[in-house]
Amino acid sequence: MFRAKLRDSNFFRHLAIFFAIIGPGIITGSVDNDAGGITTYSVAGALYGYGLIWTLIPSFIVLLVIQEMNARMGIVTGKGLSDLIRENAGMKITFFIFIGLLFSNIGNTTTEFAGVAGSMEIFGVSKYISVPVVAVMVWLLVVKGTYEIAERIFLIFSVSLLTYVVSALMSKPHWGEIGSAIIHPQLEMNTKSLAMVIALVGTTIAPWMQFYMQSSVIEKGLKMKNFKYTLIDIAVGCVVTVVVAFFIMVACGSTLHPSGIQINEAKDAAVALKPLAGKLASHVFAFGLFVASVFSATILPLATAFYVSEAFGFEAGIDKKWDEAKEFYILYTGILVISAIIILVPNAPLIQISIWSQVINGILLPVVLVSMILLINNKKIMGIYVNKPLQNIIGWSAVVILTGLSLMLLLMPLINRL
Amino acid sequence: MTSLTTFYLSGIIGKEAFGADGDAIGIIKDLLVNTMPSGQNDPNQQLVTGVRLRIRKETRFYSFKSFRVVKAREMLNVTCTGLIELSNEEVDNGLLLVENILDKQIVDMNGRKLVRVNDVRLATLPAGTFAIAVDIGIEGLLRRIGISLPIKRFLSLFKINIPAKFILWDDVQAIDYSNLNIVLSKSYAKLNTLHPSDLADILEDLGKKSSISVFSSLDEEKAADVLEELETHAQIHIVENLPVNKAADVLEKMPADEVADILDELEDEKAELLLKEMDTESSQEVRELLEYSDNSVGSLMTTDILSFKPGITVEEVIDELRIKKPESAELYSLFVTETNNELIGTFNLRDLVVAQPKTLVSQIMKSEPVFLYDNQKVDDIAELISKYNLLAVPVVDPNNQLQGMVVVDDVVEDLINKRRTKKR
Repeated sequence: MFRAKLRDSNFFRHLAIFFAIIGPGIITGSVDNDAGGITTYSVAGALYGYGLIWTLIPSFIVLLVIQEMNARMGIVTGKGLSDLIRENAGMKITFFIFIGLLFSNIGNTTTEFAGVAGSMEIFGVSKYISVPVVAVMVWLLVVKGTYEIAERIFLIFSVSLLTYVVSALMSKPHWGEIGSAIIHPQLEMNTKSLAMVIALVGTTIAPWMQFYMQSSVIEKGLKMKNFKYTLIDIAVGCVVTVVVAFFIMVACGSTLHPSGIQINEAKDAAVALKPLAGKLASHVFAFGLFVASVFSATILPLATAFYVSEAFGFEAGIDKKWDEAKEFYILYTGILVISAIIILVPNAPLIQISIWSQVINGILLPVVLVSMILLINNKKIMGIYVNKPLQNIIGWSAVVILTGLSLMLLLMPLINRL
Repeated sequence: MTSLTTFYLSGIIGKEAFGADGDAIGIIKDLLVNTMPSGQNDPNQQLVTGVRLRIRKETRFYSFKSFRVVKAREMLNVTCTGLIELSNEEVDNGLLLVENILDKQIVDMNGRKLVRVNDVRLATLPAGTFAIAVDIGIEGLLRRIGISLPIKRFLSLFKINIPAKFILWDDVQAIDYSNLNIVLSKSYAKLNTLHPSDLADILEDLGKKSSISVFSSLDEEKAADVLEELETHAQIHIVENLPVNKAADVLEKMPADEVADILDELEDEKAELLLKEMDTESSQEVRELLEYSDNSVGSLMTTDILSFKPGITVEEVIDELRIKKPESAELYSLFVTETNNELIGTFNLRDLVVAQPKTLVSQIMKSEPVFLYDNQKVDDIAELISKYNLLAVPVVDPNNQLQGMVVVDDVVEDLINKRRTKKR
């Protein structure tokens, strides 16, 4: 009996450590399913049915490996990824990465506001009301320093992402077909489906997440000794990302694809679900989209302003006054304002903006990944915690495959013309 | 003839150095600056002493004495009259501008914060070439990317200037010496002049390796003050990564209540190791404090107090204070105890100063003082302190034996921490 008690207290101690450590991975995983992600998964489901669900498996593996590297770098060095890149890769590469990050994230934030606008329209709220209100609320929330409460609320709200599971189940999916589609992965060799695959991978593994992950690990003051708990946290986060993506693709693949309905925005998916899966499913979908969009619209501009400032040596942080950290606040406010305005401009080329920010993401991702793998294999920086061979193999293959896909996409129009 | 030439580090790195006959000798990779001050205001402190040159495939250090940087028609030219290789020792005594300064974080001694270096400004005088300032402004950023001139010209059309931000070389302290075999305590000498709480802020922003090496360079007194000011997870990082004997030395210099707070966060084995290494007197106090539960008055109190017998004179008390030279917080309140350590009164510095030297302590003390029990909840303290306008409240155990006191600073800190956690 004594021994059982001992084991129990041990179990609770482990549980306590785990709850003190969780957060970075799960939050990053939840932010990952933003409006852009939901759109991409919906479009992929509507266009290809269950056909591209298999891409989630390699995405999951790469996501897991990359985030583990970020966490390890953050814990060992105590430095942000932008600090490390600036200190080791020199000014020009730093400039390229962060200007790219800035532009792609203005695009991404625009997509988030598109999500806000679209989802609220389902509930009958005009975008000219919902977007300014959300933008001002987000700004106040962050600048007036209650961001940490906000993060907790968002984390709880992110459970609402599971509403997609409900939507998917209500759409009566064909499990057999899903299974066989995953076992026999197929890829049509044309521009459209290649672009879709790149977009799917790119939205799951967005470059800014790497910076976000590394900083939140440092903020938490985690230690290598408890790394196994951090690993669990990361794994849970990755599973959340992939499971939600899976159910969105299933929901759209079971309803929209057989009826041949094509969509461009996540909102379209919610609208289209209505006659096929019922009003409730459509509202559930729209609610999830709204929460995800606001969550990411809060974190993205803040994170971007932070990393750009860090890399270029501007004072940064919401605990600083406006005068102390002018560049940081200008960046943060600028990203929010520009993104909100773009959405409110009538007939704004939203689809082009979202495609271009995906393209910039796609170009940035290999550059960031290469920098990361070089940094994490540097003994001077990482000491004994450099990458193991398997991690390098997965990391480098991800770089090669992603670069290859992007190149193929660029060259495809030329080849087709021949 | 004026022979002053100023130039930027980014302007000559990667350039070819030319020999007297006009032949290219090698590519400049880095400059070495003398950092070991032989005395205060040593003019050679910022002298460029060496250059790292790549000649074909090999990179070596050469003396900068035979090198000269000249500006001709807005173009920088580096000429060299002979190659004299530097010894390892000479290299170790210097600081590399590209490797240790450029793109790295340094401490701005006037602003008392970390800044990132975009460029270094140098000047060639008859006496040699000197590093004069580091550039931390936006102009430096643009120059590094190579678009400073066009953007400046473009903006000048609209009469906009890009503000330049420089910090004089005298006012900076380099942080990253990781590649050099330098005596760290000497290199970080400037940091010892900073206020402990500024230093603590800087340490919290540094990477893990640098924060340890900067901390280790501080003398024990300073280190103890800084450690006290650090946030909890930075404290733990430092204490866990310092050699045990060094950590114990620093902890001995700290008030026992602060030490107990830190050790409480560490793993039991590590805490035990540190307690064993500390001298018995300090560790005994800490052990007693560690017994108290987290939310009790005992966990917040300090045991560094001064108590006197009622029968001695004011003169004797002052003499004793002169010998002991206590910290200012210890003087917030002075206590009077019976031989069995039972608290019977309190007095303060004012009471001492206005009293005649021969007056007895029992005559100036306030009897029946306000006090707290060590196992009481901390929530009651703030109210008590504000109600009676106290700087410190004595703490007694259930038998009325004086155990320590709670000072207002710690109460305020505790309140702020609580509010912060609630806000989060």
